[in-house]
Amino acid sequence: MIRLYDHELSGNCYKVRLLLSLLGEQYERVPVDLHPIRENRTAWFLALNPHGQVPVLDDSGFVLCESNAILVYLASRPGVPDQWYPRNDVQALGRTARWLEFATRLSGIISAARNHDLMQEQADIGALRSKARSLLRVLDEHLWFTEQAGRGWLAGEAPGVADVACFPWVMLSGEGGIDRLPWPAIARWTDRVKRLPGFVPMSGVFPASPGL
Amino acid sequence: MSIPNPGRIEPVLWDDWHPVAELAALRHGRRLDTGLLGRPLTVTLRADGAIDACSGPHALPHLDTRYGFVWACLGAPVRDIVKFAAADEPDRIPVTGGSMAVAASGLRAVENFLDLGHLGYVHQGYLGEEPHTDIKPYTVGPREGGGIRATGCRVYQPRPSPADTSGYEVDYIYEVHRPYIVVLYKANPVDRTRMDLIALLLQPVSEESCVAHSFMSYPPHDVNEKSVRGFQQLIFGQDRPILENQLPKRLPLDAKAEISVRADSSSAHYRRWLSQLGVRFGAIPQAPA
Amino acid sequence: MNRWFAVARGTEVPRRHVGHYLLLGQELAVWRSDSGAINAWENRCPHRGVRLTLGSCEGEELRCRYHAWRFASVSGQCTLIPAHPGQKPASTVRVRVFAAVEHDGFIWVNLAQGESPTAPTRVAHVLDSTRSIFVDAPLYAVRETLLDGYPVDSTASRLAVWSKDAYCLSAGNPDHAALVTFLLQPVTDFQTVIHGALHTTVEETARLARLRRHNAAMGTVRDEAERRAAAATGGGATA
Ligand SMILES: N[C@@H](CCC(=O)N[C@@H](CS)C(=O)NCC(=O)O)C(=O)O
Ligand code: FES
Ligand SMILES: [Fe+2]
Repeated sequence: MIRLYDHELSGNCYKVRLLLSLLGEQYERVPVDLHPIRENRTAWFLALNPHGQVPVLDDSGFVLCESNAILVYLASRPGVPDQWYPRNDVQALGRTARWLEFATRLSGIISAARNHDLMQEQADIGALRSKARSLLRVLDEHLWFTEQAGRGWLAGEAPGVADVACFPWVMLSGEGGIDRLPWPAIARWTDRVKRLPGFVPMSGVFPASPGL
Repeated sequence: MSIPNPGRIEPVLWDDWHPVAELAALRHGRRLDTGLLGRPLTVTLRADGAIDACSGPHALPHLDTRYGFVWACLGAPVRDIVKFAAADEPDRIPVTGGSMAVAASGLRAVENFLDLGHLGYVHQGYLGEEPHTDIKPYTVGPREGGGIRATGCRVYQPRPSPADTSGYEVDYIYEVHRPYIVVLYKANPVDRTRMDLIALLLQPVSEESCVAHSFMSYPPHDVNEKSVRGFQQLIFGQDRPILENQLPKRLPLDAKAEISVRADSSSAHYRRWLSQLGVRFGAIPQAPA
Repeated sequence: MNRWFAVARGTEVPRRHVGHYLLLGQELAVWRSDSGAINAWENRCPHRGVRLTLGSCEGEELRCRYHAWRFASVSGQCTLIPAHPGQKPASTVRVRVFAAVEHDGFIWVNLAQGESPTAPTRVAHVLDSTRSIFVDAPLYAVRETLLDGYPVDSTASRLAVWSKDAYCLSAGNPDHAALVTFLLQPVTDFQTVIHGALHTTVEETARLARLRRHNAAMGTVRDEAERRAAAATGGGATA
């Protein structure tokens, strides 16, 4: 039985919910109150994750924190199609690791910008937005050339955990005041992700119309 | 000493109370830098439990707490902080729903809260769902004590509250008490003779930005504070991107600025009432006739 | 202004996608109906002002995200108000639409209202196109930087402003036998997009390499134009 310690508005939790749903996995959500009572700082939660952050996964007693680690674990279990974590294709695996790293950079910057805009937290918002812009430019360029090569996904021929890891933070960039207008290739990729069977939205992310 | 009002903000707002912080959020020793009516505002919780607030060099003379929030008045208060009679019933359980900043006029947020037509789309699967999208006629009029009141609002909801797993047709009453204060009452899922109260308290930070604070009060039936708050944050999290993508960011009060239909009756009344009251902050006033 | 501007490559606006573009400060929702009509609409729902780019394309209609009003391709006329499904929306309920056509592999938009717009200038023989580059600099700075030394394929060729269209720079004559043509899109007074059309073909294996070379060169132009623009406004210029 999979249990996810979760918060609706957390982009990192959404990564995990999205993959679970794309894999058609049943699971139990345990909401953790981050605002305002900071349940994530209480003793019971710190015992689960000493970093005091969601998401945390509990798969029948196997407890794991860090969203990327959870994605890799979930996608590597026996029976899950290889595409999600391409462990038998070294190049696709390398590219997957690269875009997981990218997702970490993106989430650090965009979550800080979003906490500034949403939760009134202190930040050098101009610097954050300009860093986010540089990252999104790299992503847009990569996706444009991917399309030119006849593919549509970050790391390989098929959607994988790299796409799932980047998608939430790209979508939430608007909530940190980061404009995606200059990046049309990103917009087409987010439409493709939204049309994957099993896609689920989160608050702040809207589904796409059915494709053709 | 009073706070300077160089922008000549209308007394109906300047001399009124506005929510500026959630107490529970301050308890973590955080100094909150925020704003009110175009002025900077810093709210701090002192070690002795007292609350300090200042705008630039000026300490705020009028500061109070109610419903789990800190309230401030920059001018000379002409009336008390808003009071919801139902929340005073002794057996009720109060819950705060947190605070979220929004890059849009708070008046747009009030209008969104009153809006019936979006429930089946923006809150699809929770507060509405196709094909139950038609909005039946409801009644809007002045509210006793000021503001406006909409009654007879009925919407089919698949999941009206975190306590519900099945859908039914829900009765709503909406009341706008002050320009930036709005409340709704909906039948309690366990005891349908009593009403849940959900209030949206907008802090007008600037003309084009606000902080949305929410306050709920429930009859004592199995209220799980955490799930109620989570539900509220989920719902408001769905509204926020809509609000931030409305153009213009201020609320146009001219009836011709945006097209309205019968379902928008609350919105039309609200805009007219704001005009009559002379509210300009956060609004685009009606063009002179 | 009765003038056409390229805003996107045609293939970059697939069906069932709503593209968000800006032209001369005007926000646009650009989409292609299932039957192939190109729409460039004011990015604002006439009901409560929500950006239509939040909405979704449903075939021959675009659906607004907030209350799901539907607007018909080409006319922008509202076809359904779900709050009152039995009532036919008044003919006044419509989105503001702009003239849009697809030509030579690009989507062209004309913001002129009322006057009947002339046809866009044709760029002959567009055989491929580069990635469009978004630049935080006004159009004149981008044009200047491009003219100052864009590395066109053959060493002898240089870019020049095309006599037929001041927003169009070309190496060779774009009426025939040009090498590369840049179409400049004024986004706002401070932002520009460079679209690049290529007029020669290369083998598929060399194609991606060529596109990468142009992308890198256009990126250098972007950085230089942004530097010049920052220096011109005195704002945070770094040498
Ligand atoms: N590196 C972690 C970051 C997780 C994270 O930032 N979680 C946030 C929510 S998105 C959180 O729990 N914040 C509360 C806190 O840090 O106190 C991961 O990817 O899982
Ligand atoms: S704002 Fe577009 S349908 Fe209401
Ligand atoms: Fe809403």
